[in-house]
Amino acid sequence: MANLDGGGEELRVGVFVCQCGHNIAGTVDCDDVAKFSEGLEGVVVVYNNKYTCSEPGQLEIKKGIDENNLNRVVVASCSPRMHEPTFRATLVEAGLNPYLLEMANLREHCSWVHMNEKEAATEKAKDLVKMAVARARSLEAQDEMVVPITQKALVIGGGIAGVQAALDLADAGYKIYLVEKEPSIGGIMAAIDKTYPTMDCSI
Amino acid sequence: MAGEAKFTCLRCGCDFMLPFTPGVTEERTCPKCMSNSVRRVKQKKD
Amino acid sequence: MAYSEVENVAGYVGNFTVTVRKKARYVDVKECTACGDCIDVCPVTAPDEFEEGLSTRKAIYQPFPQAVPSAFVLNIDECLGNNPIACGKCLEVCDKDCIDYDDKDKLVDIDVGTIIVTTGMAVYDPTELDEFGYTRYENVITSMEFERLINSGGPTQGHLIRLTDLKEPKTVAFIQCVGSRSENKGNPYCSNICCMNTVKDCLLIKDHYPDVKLKVFYIDIRAFGKGFEDLFQRSKEKGAVYIRGIPGEIEEDPETKSLKLYVENTTEGGTECHEADMVILSVGVHPREDSSAIQKLLTLQRSQDGFFLEAHPKLKPVDAATQGVFFAGCAEGPKDIKDSVTQAGAAAARANRLMMQGKVSVEAITSTIIPELCKACGICVNVCPYHAISCDTEAKTPATVVEAACSGCGACSAECPFGAITMKHFTDKQIESQIDAMLEVDPQDKVLAFACNWCSYSGGDLAGTNRFQYPPNVRLIRTMCSGRVDKKFVLRAFARGAPIVLLSGCHFADCHYINAVHWTQRRVEKLWDQLEKKGIRPDRLQLEWISAAEGQKFATVMRAVEELRQKVTPEEVEHTKRVLKDVLEPPKKDPAKGKPAESESAASGVAV
Repeated sequence: MANLDGGGEELRVGVFVCQCGHNIAGTVDCDDVAKFSEGLEGVVVVYNNKYTCSEPGQLEIKKGIDENNLNRVVVASCSPRMHEPTFRATLVEAGLNPYLLEMANLREHCSWVHMNEKEAATEKAKDLVKMAVARARSLEAQDEMVVPITQKALVIGGGIAGVQAALDLADAGYKIYLVEKEPSIGGIMAAIDKTYPTMDCSI
Repeated sequence: MAGEAKFTCLRCGCDFMLPFTPGVTEERTCPKCMSNSVRRVKQKKD
Repeated sequence: MAYSEVENVAGYVGNFTVTVRKKARYVDVKECTACGDCIDVCPVTAPDEFEEGLSTRKAIYQPFPQAVPSAFVLNIDECLGNNPIACGKCLEVCDKDCIDYDDKDKLVDIDVGTIIVTTGMAVYDPTELDEFGYTRYENVITSMEFERLINSGGPTQGHLIRLTDLKEPKTVAFIQCVGSRSENKGNPYCSNICCMNTVKDCLLIKDHYPDVKLKVFYIDIRAFGKGFEDLFQRSKEKGAVYIRGIPGEIEEDPETKSLKLYVENTTEGGTECHEADMVILSVGVHPREDSSAIQKLLTLQRSQDGFFLEAHPKLKPVDAATQGVFFAGCAEGPKDIKDSVTQAGAAAARANRLMMQGKVSVEAITSTIIPELCKACGICVNVCPYHAISCDTEAKTPATVVEAACSGCGACSAECPFGAITMKHFTDKQIESQIDAMLEVDPQDKVLAFACNWCSYSGGDLAGTNRFQYPPNVRLIRTMCSGRVDKKFVLRAFARGAPIVLLSGCHFADCHYINAVHWTQRRVEKLWDQLEKKGIRPDRLQLEWISAAEGQKFATVMRAVEELRQKVTPEEVEHTKRVLKDVLEPPKKDPAKGKPAESESAASGVAV
């Protein structure tokens, strides 16, 4: 009963449940979630971590990939908007394509918003991991397109912030376009007499 | 053809009038419960 | 590029093409030496905006003496010269011949790799706060007007005088938090700079006029920055008196034009009346009116106070969610000069970090056409907000996608009637497997919610960081854009026994993909009709727009959908499952009229 992915390779999913100290584990029964994850289709190994994003946590992912020949990784921790770049980089370091990562958001979307309903939160966490594993099973490696960056910058607004940003970048050697709506730069600061805390002139 | 049309809120069930132009997609909000599940009531004319 | 505005922005990180409108200045910036001969002959006078209207300027003018570029500008609406027989005096006296009444706006295209948004803020206009009488009493002025009066380059050469009698005031009162920290009129937030600005103003006045009495009416003084407390204490030592309480009303003495301030002193208790010869309203700041134009051009988001929203409040405080775009200064929130300079340096460093690598990898979430399934109908061409798809409908050749132009919203994939477009990393199969996994056990207890990455999912994250509690029945499925959510996903969820399905996305003004969210709304409207026809209550499909800043709304919506879920009966769900049975059946019967063959076959090939 092999479990194959789209390319005919055997599916080997690793699940890394993060307790996030007390942030997740304080509400969600992480041991229970980890045990549940073991029974999911395609899952070959489950880890239960205090902080998955920490150095030891990431090492464990790399080791887990290496030792178990994982080809899909599910991290059940915080929002992907927080740590997806972190864990994608971990996968790359372990020699896996970064798009073979899937995250389950057990923190922002579960433990932090159901703090008084521990059992229901744990059940939800299981579902979230189950959904993530289901999605992970059909993830495919992707190649990112690499595009050149034009070595010029646009700064919109010629007040103090715009002038400072433009000067900094110009000093770094870039060509800068500073676009200002009014006939002269300086913005609101130019109209101020003295400025705190040094009590010197604005212009 | 800009004008008003009758809408119903699919969350709280109340009916109300909102500006409506055929073919124009606009963000709509129920004035009572603030839901965006706002559906136009299609009137059978003629 | 002074006197210019950004008109259009196309492209993506590293490769933006920006169209800039260089507004007609009617004066050649390179040739003009700012000699001022033209000003001498110009017969038109107008209020000087730079001096807050406290003095006048001509129709041809330099905004202020140290202005950069050091060149004049001509306001063509005020100028008489546009009319051939009327004037033309400035042209006659201009040695350099640098005035051109026929100057026109010019559109210039520039290519840039990164963009820093430093559009600043606007100053609060206290007209609506009638209790202070800003429009009725001439000796009630704003802190910005004060800046011009105390400035040696200003209309009074730095003499602080009352506008009614041009005499120096003996007592000056400051009112803090004008337009700030108010739930009724003005803005609810703290404008950050006004306390210290008043402290500074007190010291300035005391430096020039040691005998002037100063009274500052405040809610609380926020002197939290480095060196701020020191300055605050110095102003007290010099004699500024701080009184806790904001005046409820100001009255003018009709003869002396002096002012009476009625205030409840909240430190000592009791109502007091204070007299002052001049009142300075310490006005707050608010987002600029034209922020929405910039927001649209760069697909940015704004927080609830209207300032631009950073990608992360702590970890990415100068990054926009749009890659390659950064914020600095008051565009992002009210702040003082030091903070603006600090943030500008940070934004410059972030932009430099990107540009110095010379290249950038773009997330591989783009659409791909399956040529065998494409019928060259051309629908997707119209759906794509980025014009990234082209299709020759007459030649009937399959559509093609310019991958570099595709931003990955997925609206095309959801709208394609033939399942001929797949989204990398958000394939039908990937999303459907999440739906199936979620609804495999006890579907009647759960609410399925689709959420877009940029807004509603982030709104959910914000609800989390703020610990806004809501019922645990909801499970989210994230797509990049709500426009990705295919009708068949919704129907599949109902067929699997979902009592309630919620589609959530960005407010129309926040859409990260220009206008892809419009397709979400249209699709939901069609689905409501479709469900109704099949005898399914349309209100079981909910639609909500939740911004990344609306954590509170996210929680409210989750409570609302859970309430709706409890009203869905098991009989209803069973009926729905029967009616929508076909949705789940694999497309075996009619291979010619295939549904997404590739992904479906791959799906059924999982377990061997």
